Amino acid sequence: MGYVVAGYVIVLSLLFLYAGQLVWRKRRLTRAVERFELLAAPGDEPGAGPAGSR
Amino acid sequence: MSAHQGRSSPPESSRARWTVRVVGITAAVATAATVWLALWVTPPDVTQGDLVRLVYLHPGVAWVALYLAFGLAAGASLLYLWPRTRSLFWDRLAAAAVEVGVVFNVCTLVSGSIWGKPTWGVWWAWDARLTSTAVLLVLFLGYLALRRVPAEPEVRARRSAFLALFAAVDVPIVHFSVLWWRTLHQGATVLNPDLTPTIHGSMAWTLLLGFVALTLVFVWMLLVRYRIGVLEDRLGTGELDMALRQRQAEGAPDDEDEAA
Repeated sequence: MGYVVAGYVIVLSLLFLYAGQLVWRKRRLTRAVERFELLAAPGDEPGAGPAGSR
Repeated sequence: MSAHQGRSSPPESSRARWTVRVVGITAAVATAATVWLALWVTPPDVTQGDLVRLVYLHPGVAWVALYLAFGLAAGASLLYLWPRTRSLFWDRLAAAAVEVGVVFNVCTLVSGSIWGKPTWGVWWAWDARLTSTAVLLVLFLGYLALRRVPAEPEVRARRSAFLALFAAVDVPIVHFSVLWWRTLHQGATVLNPDLTPTIHGSMAWTLLLGFVALTLVFVWMLLVRYRIGVLEDRLGTGELDMALRQRQAEGAPDDEDEAA
């Protein structure tokens, strides 16, 4: 049973860690994009974000 | 559709956020139910004993890695290369599928190795199934490395798509390896050539639930990873635009000075 428990613990931990890393990356990038849009906004046309200014 | 159309994307809607949340919660509940059934409810096997409980985990992660993630990556890459459907949406989807697939591929090799030690007496054997799965991991790690090479988005997307299609050739080799060569690895329990599952009752239902749970985990990870790709592109394009504008603003007085 030790191998079975080890298998479940290791695999589920890997998936959980990756999931946590995804959430962290997404939050960090969302904040970065919001900050960037605030910085870029003054000189832009109304409603045009950084990607939309192209 | 132009390749440039995939560059700017609208902010994530509340509906999209709600979908991601629902999929995530359902995946967590289904995974917890699978673990409970696998470890406490299902009976031990007549030959493998308790080791059979790994069957509710190992084929599920392999299913996600090989067929869902790398299959989706190959399909999306093909759609990117096809001129009529070319869009950076497919490139982002392929990249997201490969990254999640690599994690599941590692889980496949780890859980297989843990099952192999008490069953075969070794952690690893240069068996056709194991080796072809390891080759698949290396190929898709190469894909992720290639995406980090600086290039225009369209150039990166094209070369990544070709590599994904090349790597995906290994997927059927992994699947049929247990039929084409004499291997230590057992044949397919469900997706065998006769399509007659060799597992029944509560064991079969738990196996099915495990597949559903891990598929939901994959879908949740794919949605979040795709959104990360969108945000990275937005930030990258925006920073480039701002740098160009700053450069133009800096360059304007110099140009006037030179003209004077």
